This record gives sequence, structure tokens and C-alpha cells, in this order.
Amino acid sequence: MNKFIELKNVKKTYKIGEQKFNALDGIDLSIDQGEFVVILGPSGAGKSTLLNLLGGMDKATSGSIIIGENDLVKFNDKQLTKFRANDVGFIFQFYNIMPTLTVDENVNLIKDVTNTTKDSKDVLKSVGLLKHASKFPQELSGGEQQRVSIARAIMKNPKVLLCDEPTGALDSKTGVEVLKLLRKQSDEDTTVIIVTHNALIADIADRVIKIKNGKVESNIINKHPKNIDEVKW
Amino acid sequence: MVIMLKRKMFRDIRKNLSQFITIFLMIMIGIMAYSGIKAYMDGMSKTSDKFYSENNLFDLNVMGLLNHDDLNKIKEIDNVKDAELKLSVTATTDNDKTLLLNFIESNNISKFYVFDGIDFDYNKSGVWLDNFYAKENNIKVGDVILVKYETMQLHEKVLGLVNVPDHLYDTRDESELYPDRKEFGFAYMSTKEITEDYIKSLVMKQLNINDEQDLDMMIPDFDYKDYIPFSSIMVDVKNTKNRKEVKEKIEDNVENAKAIINREDTTSYITYQGEIDEGKTYVGVFSGIFLFIAMLSVITTMTRVVKNQRVQIGTLKALGFSNNKILFHYIGYGFWISIIASIVGLILGYYIIGNVFINLEMDFFEIPNGHPAMNISSYYISIAVILVVSIITYITGRSILRENPAETLRKKIPTIKGTALNITKKGFFKKLSFSSKWNVRDILRNRMRTFMGLAGVVGCCALIVCALGMLDSMNFFVKLQFEDLYNFDYKLNLKENLSSNELQLIYDQYGSNTSKILGIEIKDKNGNRESNNILVTDANDYLRFVDNKNKIKEKPTDDGVYVTYKLASTKGYKLGDKITWHIYGDNTYYTSKIVGFNKDPQNQNISMTRNYLESLKIEYKPDSLYTNNDLSKIKEIKNVETIQDINSLKEGMTGMLSMMKTMLVLIISIAVLLGGIIIYNLGILSYTEKEYQFSTLKVLGFDDKQIENIFIKQNNWIAVLSIIIGLPLGFYLTDWLFKTAIEEHYDFGASITLRTYIISAIGTFLVSYLVSKFLSKKIKKIDMVSSLKGNE
Repeated sequence: MNKFIELKNVKKTYKIGEQKFNALDGIDLSIDQGEFVVILGPSGAGKSTLLNLLGGMDKATSGSIIIGENDLVKFNDKQLTKFRANDVGFIFQFYNIMPTLTVDENVNLIKDVTNTTKDSKDVLKSVGLLKHASKFPQELSGGEQQRVSIARAIMKNPKVLLCDEPTGALDSKTGVEVLKLLRKQSDEDTTVIIVTHNALIADIADRVIKIKNGKVESNIINKHPKNIDEVKW
Repeated sequence: MVIMLKRKMFRDIRKNLSQFITIFLMIMIGIMAYSGIKAYMDGMSKTSDKFYSENNLFDLNVMGLLNHDDLNKIKEIDNVKDAELKLSVTATTDNDKTLLLNFIESNNISKFYVFDGIDFDYNKSGVWLDNFYAKENNIKVGDVILVKYETMQLHEKVLGLVNVPDHLYDTRDESELYPDRKEFGFAYMSTKEITEDYIKSLVMKQLNINDEQDLDMMIPDFDYKDYIPFSSIMVDVKNTKNRKEVKEKIEDNVENAKAIINREDTTSYITYQGEIDEGKTYVGVFSGIFLFIAMLSVITTMTRVVKNQRVQIGTLKALGFSNNKILFHYIGYGFWISIIASIVGLILGYYIIGNVFINLEMDFFEIPNGHPAMNISSYYISIAVILVVSIITYITGRSILRENPAETLRKKIPTIKGTALNITKKGFFKKLSFSSKWNVRDILRNRMRTFMGLAGVVGCCALIVCALGMLDSMNFFVKLQFEDLYNFDYKLNLKENLSSNELQLIYDQYGSNTSKILGIEIKDKNGNRESNNILVTDANDYLRFVDNKNKIKEKPTDDGVYVTYKLASTKGYKLGDKITWHIYGDNTYYTSKIVGFNKDPQNQNISMTRNYLESLKIEYKPDSLYTNNDLSKIKEIKNVETIQDINSLKEGMTGMLSMMKTMLVLIISIAVLLGGIIIYNLGILSYTEKEYQFSTLKVLGFDDKQIENIFIKQNNWIAVLSIIIGLPLGFYLTDWLFKTAIEEHYDFGASITLRTYIISAIGTFLVSYLVSKFLSKKIKKIDMVSSLKGNE
């Protein structure tokens, strides 16, 4: 496997008044292409900060973040925008889909930022939402809304899918369906990184990274990831 | 713009429809008020400019006892394009109406605008009649009317119904403010209609002969046309730049010229221009305030609308949309709404406000083809409004976009320094109820929203006070003029040049309380001369003087002149100063000491007693007589030109007030509408922002009534505070308007009744309360689960 993502001594420092706070305090890690990665850690460990840095949504204070051939730390705002538009798909805990656009329109929104998109019908079919294409988000259940979010993310054929507690707001049955969809993306060579504090998800991951106090506590390759259906939620 | 974002924009607007409708309405009303009043004012200006230029209003009007020799002398002066003689007299009709009758030889200066009938023709026998007067009296072309003047009884066929550029505004005399078209109008005839007998009798009277044969002997080739006693010559100057020079040459060469008046100094011109100047201030004040408070509210709302899209902005950013694309998308929200609202505002302003106001004016002034005129500044203002709204959206969007996307995805809670809230934990605040504390803290957290709400309601409250206060002040003025200063029942306008015997006959019957107006020219230290007039009074208590506080003053003394306060302040006159003046037609200069000041709401002039005038060796010949005799059944008095009833003078004024009322009702309606919309809009904003907290309170077990009280309380506070600020502000606004906007010769300030303050206060509070009450109904419908979830 190729090293697709490599972080070296990544620090992220916030200033609160006179005091400095290190949300990330020298992260070193690497992730291979197509891996299904779970980042675990308690609240305030720095998981979401790490995800934001990986997605180019925030800038590291120091260190380097190499994704493919790009060092995000050296990128300016324009380059980061381009990176987000072409290479990254985001999936949020609370979906963040446009409430005034239909399912189909939310997915097609991506066509406004990149040319390398899939066919929206295929994408909606793959997440099981084709029959809901003309519905507005508020007409859908939480699981369905999250699938819209996934559809929107995979519409651009991203190199990496970043998921922040993607099942956090869902019941277990719906959560399993969402995870299956994400696993499928990883099987199709998209690197999937999930940030969660749900340790059960770790069993299905190729790699499990534990974060604590802004540092990598462990980075373990799961040689025998379980099938999602095997996991008892 | 990209398709999906475009769709998102339209759907977002639809989702927040009430908020966007209020933005739309505020911009529309602001632009409508501005462009409408401006279109009306510019319409007034353009209509008169067109009328004056197309119908060639005279540049100079030479007054005196004039003849053809004088006309020829004037025509020979360099830069004089043309000149025409005119004889103006006050005539009556068979049904006792008054006509300002003019005899002319040609009509190239101050040309008729013919509504019906034919153009002026020297050889045609008949009369060209004031179009308004004809309408009021149901006179048509072809009808025959009887016009009486001294010994002349003229039965004339109406040849045309006309407007004339020097008769835009005509009243019987200066004490009448509102033209009474049913009773008074103007008429024109060819000088051929003047009877030879009449002229002969005049000449014989002058020559002091009684027999026509004597006249034939004294003037063998007597042609009556050479002896018409023309009262003015209208002069058309080639280039107005040379007007002063022409005026000086006429003064030097034409001995009979007693006074030369510029067209800008004629009553008709001044009154019409004064209306435009007044209106210009209204444009600045009323429409400016409307626009200002509307914009404050729009800016607040647009800022909030964009801020409420914070998470969506963050998501778009996370999806890879560039800052410019996102900004462009959000600018569209304000841009499209404001562009449509501006266009609708411009159209409605022109057709509703512009047309209504100008039609009201056209009932007052006799001028044809009055149309509102769209002013370019209205377009500029609209563009500025669109730009401001777009820029505000841009700035708000940009401030959100400056944050990194990760931060943008988190909801922002209004920040406030802990210390600022500490005040609510101490002293008086400690004793407040929960709802009061909650509201104080909410206000401290949302100071901008509170300030904007306050500014909007203050502005509307002040406008209501101002509009009603203007009416109060005018009513006060009517009382001052017609009850305090005029202390008579009837005013008799006496004919000119009456003999002592003729006067005595009138005195015997109606008393000898009289006055006289002298047209004068005041010369200052630098030799500059300015026209004014002196009121010479021998009217005892029938004409009274008031001081600056509107208190009736003691009888004037006989040792000098009195000057009105406003004139004194404009010219810098002080008590004891001396004024040098001369009467028009007499070059003797007099120097008089200022011995007192008086307030006159209508005229800024000089007054003196008859005794003082006579001490200067000037003969006193009264032109008006005041009486309390009952003259209600008397139609005509010998040697009296017109009889004026104080009540009809008052009614004339009331007529003018009713015109003003219509305008003010429109202004108040806009103020109330705008105020209501602003309160509603800010109410929606504050409700939306509090819904989450209200649903939390609901979860905690608060009942709807308690939550409603919390919500209404804050709006009530804002309304009360706005009223406290708005009422005095309304007074100062009215006072300022009267002191600066009104024509120079008026002098009155704001005089606002308690009733106006009470109506304005209750009105403002009621609008605020009802809007809050209406919005608070939403509290009952709060779905706790979805509201709390939606905020996560």
C-alpha cells in the first residue's frame, strides 16, 4: 500500500486571551490510500481539529500535512478551496445539507465547484435515495439526510472522505447502513477517515488511531477488520 | 450565478418570506416617499419653468401711470426685446364677484394659455376669463358676462378660458391667503373695450372741466386711446443678465415709472416658488427620515439574514465553494430584493405621491399641465440604496468568510464581555423579576438590534408628532392672526385717491379705524436698496401687535418705527437703530428710529402710527378701514372696492389647511406603516433569535403566557423609550421645519398641543404592542423538539 496521507509533527495552537492552548501537540501519522480509518478519542482530545486540518478547513500552526502530493500547510486559501472542491468529501454529524434544496439539487450542487463529478442518479441510487430525489431534507429521516450528505460527498469522486461522527445522530440500525456505505467507498479505493468516540466502530476499521491530549496515543493496523454485520451495537 | 445556488437563493427567500417582504416594503416605502415627494417638487419646478418660458412671463413689470410715450421709451432701451402696456383695475360682476380686470393691446408677453376658445385678438370684442374662476362659476366660452368698473358697464362675450403666467396665484388682497376662485378671478380684454366716455370723464376730471366742448377746445384732436391711464408696462428683456442695466435705464429715462419689479418679486411668482422651496425641505426632512429609518432596519435585517446562514456558508466553504462565489450568492439576496423594491418604489412614488401632491397644488395654483417629474437624484438614491444593501451583505458575508470553515460551521453566540453583564447582578437590577433580568441581558447581548429598533420607532414617533404638530401650529397661527392680531369683523378696502369728504362719509358710518400700506425701499449703509412695506396704522385696537411670546402689546408709540422680529434678526436691527427709506414714486428719503419690535406671522415689514407718519410731513391716505358693524347684508358700499368678512378670511386659511391636511395624512400614514413594518420586522428578528431559548423555557415548564410576557416586555420597553425620545424630537423637527422651510415672509414656530403628544405616544405604543402581540402568537406554536434539534 502507498502512503497517501502523512502528518509530521503537526501542531495546532489556539490563543485564548493571554493563554495558549495546544489542540494538537505534535501529531505524527500516516494513512494508506483506500484505508478505512477510525480516529478515536475522548471529547477535547483533538479529533475534530485533526479532521479539519486534513480537510483543509483549518490551518496547522506548524508541521506538515501531506495528502497525495500536496502539503496543506503550505497552501494558501485559494489552494485550500481548490483542494476541498476537488479532493475531499465531508460528512458531518448534523448533515449540513441545504434545507432549501431538494435531495437531487443538494447532490448536484457539487457540479458548481468541480467538473469531475459522477452521475447524480447513479450516486443517489448507490445510497438508496433515488426515489426521494425530489424531496426536501425536512421530509427525510435522520438516516436519509445523512445519506444525502454521503451522496453529496461522493458525488465529486473524492480522494478522501472525512466523516465527523457520521452516526452520532442516528439510531444503530441506520448507523449500520451509513457505515456500510462508507465501507463501500473505501473498498472502491477512497480513503475514508471517521472521527468518533464510539469505540465499536473501531472493530470494522483497517486502521485505528487513538488521540489523547492532542497527541497520537496509538496507531494500530487492524489485520482482521470485522464485517459490519458482525458487530454488536 | 450557478444554477443550484440560484435555486437556493429563491428558496431561502421563500422560506424567510415575511422577513424579505418587510425588507422589500421598507425599501419600497423609503424610495416611494423620497422619489414621490421629489417628483412632485420637481414637477412643480418644471411645470412653472415651462409655463414661464413658453408663455413668456415678463422679466420686469414697470408700475406707475404710464402711456404710449413711456412704452416707446422703454422699447428703445438696449436689450429690451419687447414691452406691452396694461391697465389693471378691480372690477365687479353683475352677481357681485370681484374680477382683476386687465386691458391690453397685445399679448406677446405673459401670453395666455388657452384652455378653450381663441387666442387674444386686439380687434375682437369680448373677454378672456380666468379658467378656474369660470369653472367655479360655471361660465363657458360664448356666455356673456357683465363687468362693472366705475361708470363702465361692459357686456362681454367670453372668448376664451385662460391661464396667464403672472396669475398663478391671485388673491383679492394680501390679508387673504387662500384664493377664493368662486368670488375672485382675473379677466383680460382688448383696450378697445374701454369706453371713450369713461376716458373722457377721467381726462375732464383731471383737467377740472365739466363740459365736453371745453375738452374739444383744449384738446382738438382728442383720441381717447392716447389717454388710457395704463398702470403697468411688462418688459421682456433680451438677456436676463442685462436686466439690472435695463431696470436702471428705465428708472433714469421714464419719469412715470414709480416702481420696477422683477418677475421674481411678484406675489404670484414668490408664492409658487415658496411652495417649491418649502417642499424641498420636506424632501430633505420627511423623505430623508423615511429612507434613513427604513435603511437602518433593512441593514439590520440583511445582516441578520446573512448571519443566520452562517452554518450554510461554512458548509459551502467546506464543499469547496470559493469565497467570491459564496459572496456573490449572498449579495444576490439583498441585490435582487432592493432592485425590485426600488423600481416599484420609484413607480409608486411617481404615480401615487407625485400625482396626488401635484394635483393638490394644481387646485391651488393656476398653471396648466402640472405633472410630477422624475428626478435623476431619485435614481441615484435608488442605486445608492441597492449598493448599501449589497455592500452590507458583502461586509457581513465577508466577516463570516474570513473565519476558517471549521469555525464557520459552529453557531456563533452573541459575545459580550462578562463585565458588561455584571451590572445586571447588582443593586436595582438584582431586585428585578426573572423576565426583566432576562430582557436586560438580552438587550445587552444584542445592542445593535436594540439600537436599530429604537432608532426606527423614535423616527416614526417623531414624524407623527411632526405631522400632527404642523397642523397644530397652523391652527395656532390662524388663531393668532384672526383673533389676536385682527380684532375686527369686516375689512373695507377703500378706493384710491378718495377726497376728505368721501372719506368722512365712510367714517361717519363705519368708524375711522384705518390703515395704509406704503410700498417702500430701504437703503442700507452700503447703499443697497431692498423693497419692503410699511403698515401705517390708525386702527386703534382693531389691528393689534404681539410680542415674541404672542402676548398682545401696548399701543404703538408715535416716536419711531416698529420692525418685526424676523426682519430685525435677518437684517441685524437693534432697538434704537435707524432705518433709511423712501416711498415708491417719491425720492425723498426718511430716517426713522426703531422704537420696538413686533411679531407678525405673515409679513416681515415695518409698522408705524399715523401720527408718526404725519410728523414726517407725509400725507396719510388710508387704504383699509376696519369695523365691527354688521355688514352681512351689505353687498356694495360707495368708494369701497371690496368688503371682506373676517370669517371668510379665516375660511380661506382653513382651505389652505385642508390641503395641507391631505398631505400630512399621507405622511402620517407612511410613518405609521413604516413604523409598523419596522417594529414587525425587528420583532421577527428578535423572535427568531429567541425561539431556541423560548423552547428551552417551555421544556422547563414555563407556560405560554409567561414566555409571551418576556417577549412583549422588551418590545414595550423599546416603545416607551422611543416615545420618550421621539416626542421632544418631533417638537424640534417641527420647529426647525417652520423656521427654515417656510417662506421668508412667514414667522412661526412649532406650537404643539398636548393632544398631539398623547395621540403620538398612544399611537406609537399601540402599533408596537399590537405587533408584539401578533408575533407572540407564534410562541404557542413552538414545537419544542424540532426547535431545539434545529439549533444543534
